[in-house]
Amino acid sequence: MQSNFRILIFFIFLTMPALGQLDDFKWQKADISYEKQIHYNKRNYSFESDNAGEFLSKSLANAYWFFISDVDGDNCPFRPTCSAFLIQSAKETNILQASLMFFDRFTRDMNIATRHDHYPRVSAGYLYDPPQNYTLNQGKIKYLPPEFIVEDE
Amino acid sequence: MRNLLIVIFLIPFSVYPQLSSFDFHSPENIKLFADHLFCEGDYLRAIEQYGLLKDHSVNDTTDFKMMLGYSKLGLYKESNKYFNGIDDKSNFYSDAYLLSLKNELLLEPKLIIASNVQSLDSIQLKSYRRITTISMLYEAELNIIREDFISPFDEDERNAVASFYDFKVDPNYKSPALAGTLSAIIPGSGKMYVGEWGDGVTALVVTSLFAFLAYDNFRTDHTTRAWIFSGLGAFFYTGNIYGSIASAQIFNAKIEFEFNDGLNLFLEQNNYFLPVYDFCK
Repeated sequence: MQSNFRILIFFIFLTMPALGQLDDFKWQKADISYEKQIHYNKRNYSFESDNAGEFLSKSLANAYWFFISDVDGDNCPFRPTCSAFLIQSAKETNILQASLMFFDRFTRDMNIATRHDHYPRVSAGYLYDPPQNYTLNQGKIKYLPPEFIVEDE
Repeated sequence: MRNLLIVIFLIPFSVYPQLSSFDFHSPENIKLFADHLFCEGDYLRAIEQYGLLKDHSVNDTTDFKMMLGYSKLGLYKESNKYFNGIDDKSNFYSDAYLLSLKNELLLEPKLIIASNVQSLDSIQLKSYRRITTISMLYEAELNIIREDFISPFDEDERNAVASFYDFKVDPNYKSPALAGTLSAIIPGSGKMYVGEWGDGVTALVVTSLFAFLAYDNFRTDHTTRAWIFSGLGAFFYTGNIYGSIASAQIFNAKIEFEFNDGLNLFLEQNNYFLPVYDFCK
């Protein structure tokens, strides 16, 4: 009786590892990609725009992407990147104001000493610096402390 | 034989729970369960259970607990709906009134206008005075002297309250116009005035560099390059003036944010000056 019981237990345990292999999904090596997602592959190089100012800023940004960013790589520490900042600034304001915002951003980009403690970060680690804070419209400013983590776009 | 006896002994245990006439859904038991959930901090389910009592044995305590539960869940509008249902002769009316003031302040931070203070006892009146006084900080301007402002508060609260008052009276904002003017005179100085020393020094170096390159190229008759550097230098110069104005605005937004953050934290820590209600002793 006892030996039968042991055989029964043995068969019950035997089915457990076998069952794991029986389904459609077989245990095998996983194809995981460790490549970093690079957003500039998804850039929109079109010249579509609603007005002349936006067309001009888009042309400048396309040229900047083509001649500088694509060659240099994904090295802008900010989100939105400087070129995207120019385009978004032109949409928020006008081409002249957007140019001033862009040159101010460029100056801040060159400051490698203190920028890291100054801006909140997006979850991917980049410094978050939206153009809405620089339109000179106090009501549009959304201050976020540097400790804040913003969801990535 | 022994195994058979154990099985026979265990059978009544499974049968007994089905035979009992215990009524889990009697109002008394629902209330007991709701009280238990409330004490466990499961306010949403407690409110749901109290809601089942509505036609049976509802009283002002359950109404107040539902109001308190909604407030603790951050559903201040729903909480205040229950205040309207509490009779002004109820023992909990004054507490509910104070809680409704807290809810109002959390729904929309603004000055609380005095009303319904007759029913408050001395402790409740003190809470009321503190919450109405602190609500003055949400006004654009303070029309009260410092001593009168801090007088309703306890000794240990006065330092914090005085610092909020001082900020409101003199908020230490930076002038965007001054920041822009300073950067127009010396590039980067407006950023330094706002406290952005790194950006200020960078702006000074970059603008000076392009100015020098433009000057040097004009001097040596390389006019094309000279104009390119002049243009870039001009953009960096005006961009810095613009950026200094924007930085002053962001600085002001930052101290405003820190003030509101500090005030909210202070109010949270002091439970908006309301008594701590313990229904779970």
